[in-house]
Amino acid sequence: MSSGGTRTGHRARRQNLLMAAMVVPLVLFIVFIFLWPVARFLWLAVDNSDMSANLSRTFAAIGDWRPADGPPPEPVLAALVEDLAEARANGRDGILAQLVNQRLVGTRYLVIKTAKAASEGKFDMRPVGEALLAAHSGWNNPALWTELIRASGAVTDYYLLGSLDLQRSANGGIERVPADQAVFLDALLRTVWISIVVTVICAVLAIPLAQAIVSAPPSWSRLLFALVLFPLWTSLLVRTVIWIIVLQKNGPVNAALVFTGLVPEPLTLIYTRFSLYIAMVQVLLPLMVLSLVSVMRRVPTSYMKAALSLGAPWITAWRRVQLPLIMPGILAGAAIVFVFALGYYITPTLVGGPGDQMISSYIAFYTNTTLNWGLAAALSVQLLLILLLAALLFWTARALTRRRGALA
Amino acid sequence: MLKIWQSVSVAALLAAAVSTAQAADTITVVGWGGNWDKAYKEGVWDKYTEQTGTKIVQEEWGGELAKVRAQVQSGSVTWDVVSPEAPSVEIGCAEGLFVPLTPEITGDPAKYHPGTIMECGVASDTWATILAYNADAIPGEGPKSWADYFDVEKFPGKRGMLSQAQYTLENAMMADGVAPADVYTELRKPGGVDRAFAKLDTIKPHVVWWSSSTQAMQNLASGEVVMTDQYNARVTNDIVNEKKNYKIVWDAGFFYGTDMWAVVKGSPNEKAALELLKWFSIPENQAGFSKLYAYGTGRVEAAEYVPAEWLKNLPTSPDHAKYGATYDTQFWVENKEALEARFKAWLAQ
Repeated sequence: MSSGGTRTGHRARRQNLLMAAMVVPLVLFIVFIFLWPVARFLWLAVDNSDMSANLSRTFAAIGDWRPADGPPPEPVLAALVEDLAEARANGRDGILAQLVNQRLVGTRYLVIKTAKAASEGKFDMRPVGEALLAAHSGWNNPALWTELIRASGAVTDYYLLGSLDLQRSANGGIERVPADQAVFLDALLRTVWISIVVTVICAVLAIPLAQAIVSAPPSWSRLLFALVLFPLWTSLLVRTVIWIIVLQKNGPVNAALVFTGLVPEPLTLIYTRFSLYIAMVQVLLPLMVLSLVSVMRRVPTSYMKAALSLGAPWITAWRRVQLPLIMPGILAGAAIVFVFALGYYITPTLVGGPGDQMISSYIAFYTNTTLNWGLAAALSVQLLLILLLAALLFWTARALTRRRGALA
Repeated sequence: MLKIWQSVSVAALLAAAVSTAQAADTITVVGWGGNWDKAYKEGVWDKYTEQTGTKIVQEEWGGELAKVRAQVQSGSVTWDVVSPEAPSVEIGCAEGLFVPLTPEITGDPAKYHPGTIMECGVASDTWATILAYNADAIPGEGPKSWADYFDVEKFPGKRGMLSQAQYTLENAMMADGVAPADVYTELRKPGGVDRAFAKLDTIKPHVVWWSSSTQAMQNLASGEVVMTDQYNARVTNDIVNEKKNYKIVWDAGFFYGTDMWAVVKGSPNEKAALELLKWFSIPENQAGFSKLYAYGTGRVEAAEYVPAEWLKNLPTSPDHAKYGATYDTQFWVENKEALEARFKAWLAQ
């Protein structure tokens, strides 16, 4: 008995080991190809090491001095000259200048020119203070020093605050940025709102369509299914640009509207929120249909028939019998469509209006064009948090429908 | 056993030798795609390959400096020569992403147009953002200035505008009566940028914003807009190849900008890439591009090798150069991020 038990135990353990061995490559793959790079990029949202490491002597020399106490003292300026000369020797002066310029616009060339002069030994004579301030008066600016002191830590909340249209005020508190610079909060809300609307439209359109595919005779069903899948084989860009041609002022839609006398003159259809919804729904609809069809196929038609034969009006029967049964399909489809919609930026850029740009276009701008990866990472953190929140909501909704199903 | 190891190491050495030989004979050059790349291939690169045997592989990008930074930081550089816009070269050069160029490579800097040579780059193409209109949509007297462009009473219809601050603020300043040469002096003054935005406010409801030049030309062709700002060669291309009735208003004033050839630091073919740029610095060689595409290049003398009839389409031609001014790289390197953020906020209001 006991020996038999050990043998089964051995076998089970061996199987477990085998399973583990089979899963390990996948786990490693996900960790190294996905989680690790994403985590590293997101870390940039708080990372301030380029600033704190390259100006370490300066920050140490600053100590308790504040711009309000008067002009920067000699030890601070001497440390600054040393730091900048070293940064230039290490090829870090460019990135340092960019970071300082982010904090206070218009200081980039001040940093680069000072670093160049410092590395050429122009400030080797002591005291350096007077010579430095005479040659590069920008270092006299109290606002610059205030920003630098604020940026002295190894980590910073600067980008995360910035991504929420917030900044540090003069006394160190948190305040909103001036209205003409506040863009991200609006863009974020807009992104979520557009994604929700697109998800709802997709669901409303996909339910009857999926039902038709499931109920049709097999040959028709296959044809309808192929038609739904067909757009997935076309490039996203083509599908988007086509709408510009279809909806433009002298395009077919406007021509038809004017010809039939429905409108006196062509409407502005393209470059609006309306055209953005149309283009996004067209691209994302197949995903919703696919997940609905796979669930509907498993729902026997007899349930609806039973409800109807028991005297329930069609709408009641559908709402109380069919809808709960296909709910998992709706939720799965909605989750996919919502997540895809959140990350859109090519479509809004091409067919949306000026007020329809989504948060990803800002991430692309800061990543690609200005190399402000700190702000790009901070905006990505926001998007990720919304994603997690959405996942939690969908998961809760699913659990609730399951429980209701079990209770019924 | 020893024999096996010997043959393996010989094979490895051979493979290494072959791959370096191949590497030295092939340079990867990254340009702006489409007809631009085609003009470079037919007008410039093919000639170089013919003369030296060095093969040139073309790749395409949208000027994203991030891609260069990622290659340099990860130590796996696959691009040898790239063509970013001048402000990006300035940023990348200071950050150590590009190899500094010596006069030995570029020739005498004094022989270049202003703004077409920098520490780490020489002009690959000098383009202008000009005012263009559809003469079918505006028969008779067309717009003469940027002030006309902003005047929707005089010229009804929508306007196309690039949806970014860079280039657009300059056009607004010209519309407000500032001469191209003074635009940056005015923009740098306190309230200068506000002045540009105030001018843009006056035309905002009449603008169709564009983000790709293909889209802008489509809007002009379809009648969505009657006039647009645009890169000059795109308009010339449609006039010449598609026989469109478009007009470029050079004397309204324009700004010219420059894309730069720059060698990526850490490129395995750095030497070959520098050789290529040295060859490219000869005026006759770089004129090969301008002959096929209506953009200028850096060397002033290159114009001598371009047929007079075609030269009229280039922003660097003597006929037009007097109406133009160069984009201020320093201004945009420092202010780009802040002004684009403000522009986006303004746009969404």
